[in-house]
Amino acid sequence: MSSPAKQDRRTSITAISAMFAALALIFSYIEFLIPLPVPIPGIKLGLANLVILIAIVRMDFRHAFAINCARILLSGLLFSGVFGMIYSFAGGVLSILVMYILYRTNLFSLVGISMAGGVAHNLGQLITACVLLRNTAILTYFPVLLFSGLISGIAIGILACVIEKRLPEFN
Amino acid sequence: MIKKADVILFIIILAAGLAVSLLPLRGALKDPEVRVTVNGETYGVYSLSEDRTVEIVQNTSAGTFTNVLVIKDGECFMKSASCRNQICVDHGPISGRGQVIVCLPNKVVAEIVGTTGKGGDVDVISG
Repeated sequence: MSSPAKQDRRTSITAISAMFAALALIFSYIEFLIPLPVPIPGIKLGLANLVILIAIVRMDFRHAFAINCARILLSGLLFSGVFGMIYSFAGGVLSILVMYILYRTNLFSLVGISMAGGVAHNLGQLITACVLLRNTAILTYFPVLLFSGLISGIAIGILACVIEKRLPEFN
Repeated sequence: MIKKADVILFIIILAAGLAVSLLPLRGALKDPEVRVTVNGETYGVYSLSEDRTVEIVQNTSAGTFTNVLVIKDGECFMKSASCRNQICVDHGPISGRGQVIVCLPNKVVAEIVGTTGKGGDVDVISG
């Protein structure tokens, strides 16, 4: 029923989504190879979020969410293991929801969106850890994870801003 | 590039972060102890004033998991762990109120507890 032009666009969006998922997976791999030298689990730069941010802005929520899920599933199977996957999933889903809501308000720049996403990601992981360990003592990590999410979120947000401006239009 | 709402959100998160980080610092512990929890159940509570080594062994259907916790000079640290990432081993010694060492793969948590003025626990930050 759809016109050829519309089908072309759908094909190109599918191809770009697959490319984005692959790129996000590579970023996850880089972070797995070069972990930050801190003794607290959960502190990382979140390079893969760069891809997700741009997918939210340039595509739509559905595609960004699918890209993120594909990335988490694959990096879980390849690098971090099933438990790592559960943590990534909790962090990834919470962060993408928060980022999309902030994006829809039209009030925030990519820096603010990414900053909130970073904090939400770490919060999601911490809540998961509390549930899995059945222990709330680890909530003492909350401030550290909050600040690290804030800082890495800002760094990634600035990067995303710079890259997004230089990216050509899709189709 | 940066909007006004970004700055406001940044200040809110920063203020919330500072507020929660100052909470557990209040009050010193009288008799600090380390409580070891495995999978949510208390494995043992040990005084920090007595040097000792605690072996935390779990025999499960998935295999045997071991963590070795050392209490020395009023501090405790994880000497070894059977897990892959060794994050708990790299974690420095703990002794202060509310500090924890976590081994996520083995589901082992070592936290500093003890009596304060009101018998408060680390749970204050969740409440």
